[in-house]
Amino acid sequence: MSAEKNLHIIANNRLRFTEGPKPYAGDLPAPAEQVGHLHESQKQPSWNELAPLLENEQVKLRVADLLSRYPDPQGALLEVLWIAQEVIGWVPREAIRWAASVCSCSPAHALGVATFYTMYKHAPTGRFLLQFCRNMCCSIRGASDIIRYAENALGIKTNGTTPDGLFTLIQVECLGACGNGPVMLVNDDFATDVESGELTLKKGAALTPDRVDRIIAWCRDRASQMKEEPVRDALGGKLSGHLGHPGAPGASARAQVLDYAPPPPVLGVSAQASADGVTLTWKAAPEITALAVERLEDSSWKQIGTLSPKDKEFKDASGKAGMDYRMTASSGDRAAKPSAAVKATEKAG
Amino acid sequence: MADTVKVCTGNFGKRAQSIHTYRKLGGYSTVSSKLFDLSQFEVIDAVMRSGLRGRGGAGFPTGMKWSFVPRNTGKPVYIVVNADEGEPGTFKDHFLMKEDPHRLIEGLIIAAWALGARSAYIYVRGEFLPCIETLNKAISEAYGEKLLGENIGGTRFSFDIFVHRGAGAYICGEETALINSLEGSKGQPRLKPPFPAVSGAWASPTCVNNVETIMALPWIFENSPEAYAALGTPKAGGTKVFCVSGDVKKPGVYEARLGIPMMEMLESSEFAGGIDGDLKGVIPGGSSTPVLLPEEAAKATLDYEGLAALKTMFGSGAITPFNTTRDVVQILNTLGNFYSHESCGQCTPCREGVGYAKRVLNAIVNGNGRDGDLELLLSLADQYNGTTICPLAPALGMPVTAFITKYRRDFEEYIAKNPQRSSPRLNSNIRPGAFW
Repeated sequence: MSAEKNLHIIANNRLRFTEGPKPYAGDLPAPAEQVGHLHESQKQPSWNELAPLLENEQVKLRVADLLSRYPDPQGALLEVLWIAQEVIGWVPREAIRWAASVCSCSPAHALGVATFYTMYKHAPTGRFLLQFCRNMCCSIRGASDIIRYAENALGIKTNGTTPDGLFTLIQVECLGACGNGPVMLVNDDFATDVESGELTLKKGAALTPDRVDRIIAWCRDRASQMKEEPVRDALGGKLSGHLGHPGAPGASARAQVLDYAPPPPVLGVSAQASADGVTLTWKAAPEITALAVERLEDSSWKQIGTLSPKDKEFKDASGKAGMDYRMTASSGDRAAKPSAAVKATEKAG
Repeated sequence: MADTVKVCTGNFGKRAQSIHTYRKLGGYSTVSSKLFDLSQFEVIDAVMRSGLRGRGGAGFPTGMKWSFVPRNTGKPVYIVVNADEGEPGTFKDHFLMKEDPHRLIEGLIIAAWALGARSAYIYVRGEFLPCIETLNKAISEAYGEKLLGENIGGTRFSFDIFVHRGAGAYICGEETALINSLEGSKGQPRLKPPFPAVSGAWASPTCVNNVETIMALPWIFENSPEAYAALGTPKAGGTKVFCVSGDVKKPGVYEARLGIPMMEMLESSEFAGGIDGDLKGVIPGGSSTPVLLPEEAAKATLDYEGLAALKTMFGSGAITPFNTTRDVVQILNTLGNFYSHESCGQCTPCREGVGYAKRVLNAIVNGNGRDGDLELLLSLADQYNGTTICPLAPALGMPVTAFITKYRRDFEEYIAKNPQRSSPRLNSNIRPGAFW
């Protein structure tokens, strides 16, 4: 190999093989990239263009609901970015700045988050974003052939958009439907087939060239019937009835009370008989506020004393060896189950 | 085994998404009958006795994990459900949540009662929007029936569940990364200790459990912990939801007792229905677990110890067999691409090392492999262990080591096709750092 060739590679610093045999495996799938991550020149809309979409009553209500769910407003950042993506279609820089101000974090932090997660789009895509899984299970079942077939069917390459603006095709990592591999997402819905006008993900059904054709035809059909894709709630609908996180802005929830549950039963009760009665010892949990001692008399339990949690032992002067005892703890108004019954025994030796 | 008890998947295909159907099928019976008379200690003790182990991959005993959560610290306790299912081969949580969302809610009420949690978050990966819609609908129904909210069942116990949509990062399945993501940060794992049980989300005690783990709880309390333990092996109780994908006749989600032979899962008509073609290997627990050769798979049993004995892992219960027409070099190359794409970039051995392994693998697949590349890959795989915060890089290291040692001839065939294989690699853009 000549030094010149080598220099050429270093100067470009690109993973490109200019010498040696032809690539053995043909075209490998391109790495899955975040949409728009490589588009430095993406034209960014100004805040004035975005403000009507983001600063309206509907969005404000949803954001307020989200903020009430987290002890710290920053917790809602991912969800607020989802809302921005839902109403704009992608997340322009000014929307990220807006999300940062809503969630009380720095714009730099919000930009870091928005570019860390691959599902936030940093450039507009076609109306139907087709995400093909190219990971292990799908590729075992021939994902690369399916992807190549879809590319040919649409006449675009991976990461490309059709000229009519209908389809953008990308490759993604595992989609979590490996039993249907190869599998794809059409916008937010899993699809391996079309049945009676709906995208379906039936057990064991994988993508085949026919089914890819059907799905593409379904999209085209939908595009001819509906002028634009209806907006879909990116957070999967509103929860009705929650009171939020205690202390969060807008939340009316109270913190958990500590003694909602009964205390645990008393453990390790032992009863020791001697000449002057029976002595009980036990181990009790710290949260109890009262203890009761019961003795079995004529096959029914009779309470013979109550104790405070500070007491360490209890003496039953009238007790004798062979009698049965049990103890019941309570905390506030909630009583525990009685402990296991123990028989008083003489001390060995 | 026709008598397999369905702990988690019993309601599949019965339209249990609606609360009325779920109740008709026996749902919420624990919550309405006995849970509120149990002390927190007794609930945790029952989970310990059931032998339930975390179903997300690591297999840590759930009862023990719960017992680490401190009480009365003055801070709230959080339960976080890990539904950021992204390990290639795993798709059980997807269908569990879609088919039976109320069982997850019931399990969460039990867990919250035991741990004293006021708020729970279900962290669902962003790709599962249909699941999130199902869950949100189910949660709204549960609020409507006063199973969630303030003073549930007339007690002073209050509990809320929120669904948090992730946005596409495999690493958020790691529990500390998931917590960071929940807090609205990049999903980068945290150093442990402190463990999340002591200081997790918003520096409060946090219990992160897998969807399937939580969904096993209603059955345990409806029946008994001992009955659950009796379903499994002596060291791990219960059943497991297995996800079979790859070259089988009937891929899908199947629930079976722990400890059933792997070949029964693959061959039985009740389960995957047989291998498509001649078996070449089986990936037994998700992409990061070392691959098994057919003769190893023949003697493998599906439980934590049985697979550990074969130097692989039980993982998340994802079983991916592949047949002799599949190219193992391509499979490993896919994994190299995947893990280098999903590295969060925090630790140098992972950010640089996984990318390095990926570029070497790409070169081999492209017909540019050199003598010594396999040793280079093995050495790289060895150096991931113990040098990173989270197990993402070792999760590539394990399959790299297993694939190269078990299918060395396939890799050597690829390299042998390069006439310049014996000359040193001059391609400087494969070395570490070239990516930048």
